[in-house]
Amino acid sequence: MTSFQSSLGEDEGIAEELAESQREISIAEFFEKNKHMLGFDSGARGLVTAVKEAVDNALDATEEAGILPDVYVEITEVGDYYRLVIEDNGPGITKEQLPKVFGKLLYGSRFHKREQNRGQQGIGISAAVLYAQLTSGQPAKITSRPKGQSEAQYFELIIDTDTNEPEISVDETTSWDRPHGTRIELEMEANMRARSQLHDYVKHTAVVNPHARIELREPGLEEPWKFERATDELPAETEEIRPHPHGVELGALIKMLEATESYSVSGFLQEEFTRVGKKTADGVIDQFRDRHYGRELAWSPPSSRSTGTGATSADVEAAVEAAVANKGADATSSFAGGVAETVAGNDHLSRSDLVTIVGNVADAVEDDTGRTFGSTVRENATEAAWRVVTTGSAGESDAAVGDDPDADDAGDGDSPLVADLYALVDEATSTRKDDETIRAMAEALAFRLADLEGDAYRITRDDLERLVADAAAFVAEQHDATFGETARENVVESVWSRARTVPDDPPKVRDVAGDRDAAADLLEAMRGTDILAPPTDCLAPITAELVEAGLRKEYDADFYAAATRDAEVHGGDPFIVEAGIAYGGEIPAEGAVELLRFANRVPLVYQRGACATTDVIRTIGWRNYGLDQPGGSGMPNGPAVISIHVASTNVPFTSESKDAIANVPAIEDEIELAVREAARELKSYLNKRRSMQQRREKQDVLGRILPEMADKVSEVTGRSRPDIDGALARIMNNVSLEREVDDGTVRLVVENHSDVNERLEITDIVSTEPTDVSDGTVVDMDGEWFVQWKPEVASGDERELTYSVDGEADFEVSVGGVETEKLTVNA
Amino acid sequence: MTTESDARDQLIDLAADFYDQFAAGEIPEMELPTRTKSNIEYDEESGVWTYGDRTSIRSANSVNGARKLLKAAYTIEFLADQLDEDRSSTLRELYYLSESWDNDEAQFGSQDESNDLIEDLEIVTGVTREDFHMRPEESGATLMGPLELREQTRRGEREIHCQKDVGEGGYQIPNNPDMIEFLDHDIDFALAVETGGMRDRLVENGFDEAYDCLVIHLKGQPARATRRITKRVHDELDVPIVVFADGDPWSYRIYGSVAYGSIKSAHLSKYLATPEAEFVGIQPEDIVEYDLPSDPLSDSDVNALESELEDPRFQTDYWEEQIELQLDIGKKSEQQSLASRGLDFVTDTYLPERLDEMGVI
Repeated sequence: MTSFQSSLGEDEGIAEELAESQREISIAEFFEKNKHMLGFDSGARGLVTAVKEAVDNALDATEEAGILPDVYVEITEVGDYYRLVIEDNGPGITKEQLPKVFGKLLYGSRFHKREQNRGQQGIGISAAVLYAQLTSGQPAKITSRPKGQSEAQYFELIIDTDTNEPEISVDETTSWDRPHGTRIELEMEANMRARSQLHDYVKHTAVVNPHARIELREPGLEEPWKFERATDELPAETEEIRPHPHGVELGALIKMLEATESYSVSGFLQEEFTRVGKKTADGVIDQFRDRHYGRELAWSPPSSRSTGTGATSADVEAAVEAAVANKGADATSSFAGGVAETVAGNDHLSRSDLVTIVGNVADAVEDDTGRTFGSTVRENATEAAWRVVTTGSAGESDAAVGDDPDADDAGDGDSPLVADLYALVDEATSTRKDDETIRAMAEALAFRLADLEGDAYRITRDDLERLVADAAAFVAEQHDATFGETARENVVESVWSRARTVPDDPPKVRDVAGDRDAAADLLEAMRGTDILAPPTDCLAPITAELVEAGLRKEYDADFYAAATRDAEVHGGDPFIVEAGIAYGGEIPAEGAVELLRFANRVPLVYQRGACATTDVIRTIGWRNYGLDQPGGSGMPNGPAVISIHVASTNVPFTSESKDAIANVPAIEDEIELAVREAARELKSYLNKRRSMQQRREKQDVLGRILPEMADKVSEVTGRSRPDIDGALARIMNNVSLEREVDDGTVRLVVENHSDVNERLEITDIVSTEPTDVSDGTVVDMDGEWFVQWKPEVASGDERELTYSVDGEADFEVSVGGVETEKLTVNA
Repeated sequence: MTTESDARDQLIDLAADFYDQFAAGEIPEMELPTRTKSNIEYDEESGVWTYGDRTSIRSANSVNGARKLLKAAYTIEFLADQLDEDRSSTLRELYYLSESWDNDEAQFGSQDESNDLIEDLEIVTGVTREDFHMRPEESGATLMGPLELREQTRRGEREIHCQKDVGEGGYQIPNNPDMIEFLDHDIDFALAVETGGMRDRLVENGFDEAYDCLVIHLKGQPARATRRITKRVHDELDVPIVVFADGDPWSYRIYGSVAYGSIKSAHLSKYLATPEAEFVGIQPEDIVEYDLPSDPLSDSDVNALESELEDPRFQTDYWEEQIELQLDIGKKSEQQSLASRGLDFVTDTYLPERLDEMGVI
């Protein structure tokens, strides 16, 4: 076996060679080797995976066409094989589209598309077709009827395992009762040992696609299993988006750089990425310059320095004048004067700043005097002025400052750099550092900066950090003074923020593409720039409402809650997490709760233990939310179903078979927040239920005790049994309703003994026509009168509702707006 | 004092209150003084400590409150019937008798519960337990001394002289001392003694005869009957009462309940407490003065002493001085420790000296 070691760009031949040798493996062999990754590692699992891929395809196809999905799945035994039939009511497939849909393995169109789709990775149905073909030798049989066509088309398709090309072997017209749609028939070696997973998959698909109608027939079912739709609302259509700058990796970036038609980095950024406009691109490019070229350190101009070098603005002027020749006295002096004055007007300046200043002044003097200041003159003038700024003198002398503090300890001979650095270091370090240490640091730093290439003091942040660390080590060694990490970081920060981003043009795209380091700098720059989160119209969350509707449809529970989070980003791909909880009712109370996992509306049925969703559920303290959790961690127990849906343009799976969501912290955080949001509702429901239960228990006990007590006191006192309803209502913090009828006047008295205000809806059905109704409404319904009031009764308050009837009347009252546990009606 | 029919009427009135509350649509409730140390107040007029103004409410608005009131209703019926039939029963019998009630909810869970309920009923109705014909399990203690009395027993009247007509055990105080009528006496003072051993020592040494003293045996924390008869001896025979107990915090509480009333029966203080009673010893001062054999104070002793300093009943100069002294020396002594000076020391020396100091003899 040959070992290839290559780095990108070094030897392109080897990569080519590798690719060549890969193609020599037959697709059948490739499939055989990778079938575990693709979900076809056993006959039982292969069948489930095939159903899954076909159903996912059917749902995607119908939704894309804006049709409410109607999917039919049938599994039958055919001799030693199983036949799988999947029908949908989608737009059908034309002959030309066939290879695309059932095309080559791993060549799906969706691989690089940033759009939320079920079959995200392009393995899908083609793997099922291949699996069927390899195990049974039978072609895939496809019937398709595009919308509006009177006839359907029947195809038989096999994949040429040598070329990995689909081949249509039969193409004929047929008739089909569906007005439009696609039918796929696959025959494969399989078994039904994974029946429960199959059922889970189909049921969970129904939960998460409440807009779909799904029917399943398989040999183990006596009756077809039908899932009706719960909503006529199709999921929102998704938009395709470009990648987000925060989400690409180096390899992908280099590929994009190679492929782009843009010439400049700015154009590339704006064209190829989402959320990047001119301003953001400029921000990225500034960061890129800082990383790629480094910054130029800026220094104080001579005149603003109070003591020290003795260099002044006049020295700058003199140096510039000396550097200019043959331009005439007036022009020379106004040029030199202009430069000196502008330089003095700056707080700090870098060499590039000086170049700009010299250029501007030269242009102005050219305009005034008609003399030409060519680039050589400008260059010379810049150099002369720069020397004064950085060395304090116009001479050619070297700016070096000794590491040995004895060389010049007074301020006099200090380089201007040392003075500037002294101020920076002093400002950046704590007051406890003594003057000597700070001075030594400034000098050591100046000494090392002088060694930089060129005279512009251009340095990257990484190099600056190294240099400061080196200087600090030197100071620590020579002066026995500690210069710790925080102090070093502060010094780096203050020097760096004084430095100026260079005006150099960024390298061109093709140069960046060819230079791995430059590309890495660009990537870092992209990550280091604040950029708006990607747009979320590429995502189609189910919405909290429909998550709940889905659960409601398939689980007969007492309580449902759901939450949809706002979109977040991981690796440049936006994602949304949704969670739903169903509790109680018919859900079995024994054992762990049922966890439904979904990625882009596809149920995940295998590898539950490896899934990020499972991990998150295990880490949540469910006892807080009213669920039993042995040991305080792990899967909670109880009659609950938790469903989690992660929608993203690129759901990170642990493997190609897309069974488990990978542990990406950003996604885990959102899963946790979504689940907790739904769980909070569960908690308040359970608390309320508990307090209602306590209330019922109290009601039960008091309802037994108080009448007995009343009996006993009436026995002891020899009086008849007192009416205790009022006392009971009061004890139960109840709302009581009593009727009094007196000479044709009906009075309904509502007393609110609870500690909250109650808004009631009281309907009294009267057999004769009521008159003088106190602020209620009366509706005549075939000789019965419905009198309705909606009084709000404050806590501890009572209301009287009255009307009159002529003669005898029958009444029937009903009260709404308050739990029956809290209501005592005596009317 | 109440008569039996009064007692019955009071109970029925309480039941009628519950009835009226029900009928008015109100939650039946019963208001009681809060029975804690902080709600004990000194009654200037009578010189005893009674409950203050703070009250607690037993209300049927909770399951527990409703159960208590249901039990109260059943107990009222039982007591009313008992009074009708002129029978009596013990507190313990009431507890067992509740098992025969037709209602599980009304049965008592423990005897403390039934005892507490009887006390509640005493307080609310203003009728004493004795008038409900309820008695404690253990009868009162004994008297020995020159006192002649007539007791109304169920088997007729008995005239008894508490020295001449009794054995060494003395005269047994009946459960309801109000059935006794004092006929004649020769008592100079009454000495209430905490322990049986000391009481026997005094009788053996003939202290009651020598000093014309009525020896009242307290038997530890004195029963109501013992306290009641002590009060009657003081009030009706006009003799001074002195209390002779151990020199430890628990014994000071025994003195306190004789003199000032106990927290649990503060509603009966006027009827049971003898505020004029004085403490003869053992005083902490005596431990020092007579150099008595002593035990070190335990933590619970210290806590009890400190809590007595907070107790309104002990907030007098005398007690503060003595308790602080005891905390200071960290010692306690029993009555019997006097025997270290010989068996006659208590009767020949200690008591005569102390009583003389106090101006009793």
